Amino acid sequence: MKKPLGRRSLLRTLSGALAGALTLSVSRKAKAALQKILVASHTPKGYDPTKHKWLMAIDVGRCIGCGLCVEACKTENAVPIGPSYFRTWIERYIITRPEAGSGEMRGETIVDSPNGGMQGFPAGLVPKEQILKSFYVPKLCNLCEHSPCAQVCPVGATFDTPDGAVLVDPKYCIGCGFCIQACPYGCRFMNPLTKTAEKCSLCYHRITRGLKPACVEVCPTEARVFGDLKNPVPNDPIHRFIEKNKAAQSLKPHLGTAPRVLYAELDKEVR
Amino acid sequence: MVIVTLYLTARYFLTPQSFGLYGWYRAVALDEIAARPTTYAGQKACDECHSEVVQRLAKYEHKTVSCESCHGTGQAHADNPDAPVTKLTYSHCVRCHEADPARPTWLKQVKSKEHYTGQRCTECHIPHQPNEVP
Repeated sequence: MKKPLGRRSLLRTLSGALAGALTLSVSRKAKAALQKILVASHTPKGYDPTKHKWLMAIDVGRCIGCGLCVEACKTENAVPIGPSYFRTWIERYIITRPEAGSGEMRGETIVDSPNGGMQGFPAGLVPKEQILKSFYVPKLCNLCEHSPCAQVCPVGATFDTPDGAVLVDPKYCIGCGFCIQACPYGCRFMNPLTKTAEKCSLCYHRITRGLKPACVEVCPTEARVFGDLKNPVPNDPIHRFIEKNKAAQSLKPHLGTAPRVLYAELDKEVR
Repeated sequence: MVIVTLYLTARYFLTPQSFGLYGWYRAVALDEIAARPTTYAGQKACDECHSEVVQRLAKYEHKTVSCESCHGTGQAHADNPDAPVTKLTYSHCVRCHEADPARPTWLKQVKSKEHYTGQRCTECHIPHQPNEVP
């Protein structure tokens, strides 16, 4: 049988709750003090990640394969020089003519990316007469809505930020490499110097200061478009891109990763 | 019971304060990553001192080309005007304008081996005003 709530028991409950609240606030203060000693604090610079949503879009028809973006990315983010360390890279697609009488629409698809396209592409890989069509496709982190890389990280070192970037916390990364295997776009690599996973950060240090990512800044043809979806400005390049390219696609949408990077004029061979 | 209590206490004190603010990660990592220095200054920084060049460039075909596309990283120069920017060479022109079947046809392209070999590009073309002849 339940006892009615008396004056004494009510007081006891209330004082208990008060004591609990006091202890909690004391422990909170102790925790903050302890962490101040253990962890160097960084003062926020007045940038609120919940008030932005960044997006990159790529106009394949405007990419000329100059490789400036790859070079700029490596310089800006101190990416190690090496043939397999890229935060962004350019792929050249060459679709050959079908063999005469084969009844096919198109021939073979050849994809190459020598040193990520940083020094350009060698001419004459396929004789000009045999090329049905050829084009360049810049690649980078696809900024997935449901990032498989963030999903598999066992220590919470990689994550989707509220402003749309997918970042790696180098202090927490243990270098297990799960995320490198999980990314279906091959956008991650292990930094040989820090032994931590690395990827396109959308130049987070630049966008938080109001600058464009390095690759967008140097792109001479505006093939790379960048903008904030939450703060549209008149004649905003990203909104213009979405308006103009009604059939803009994303890469490997069937995987359910909800990639956000948009590609205009994308050929079906591009993966 | 003691072990569980010790574990929970230790976990409480060792978990970074910002952990879980936005999700299952350290929210201060965002600030740490954002604190990196920049090497490319951006067109706005160039415009502060070289606005007449930027305005002239905007009237010609190369209007979409940013200063740092050709002149290289500019943050050091923006911080200290005495620091020089990268010297430009002939390879900068052909990097974009060399004939290549994979390049879109709207882009003006030349075969550098056949196009006035032995002459410098700037003898006939002005990079800031590509439509004009010197």
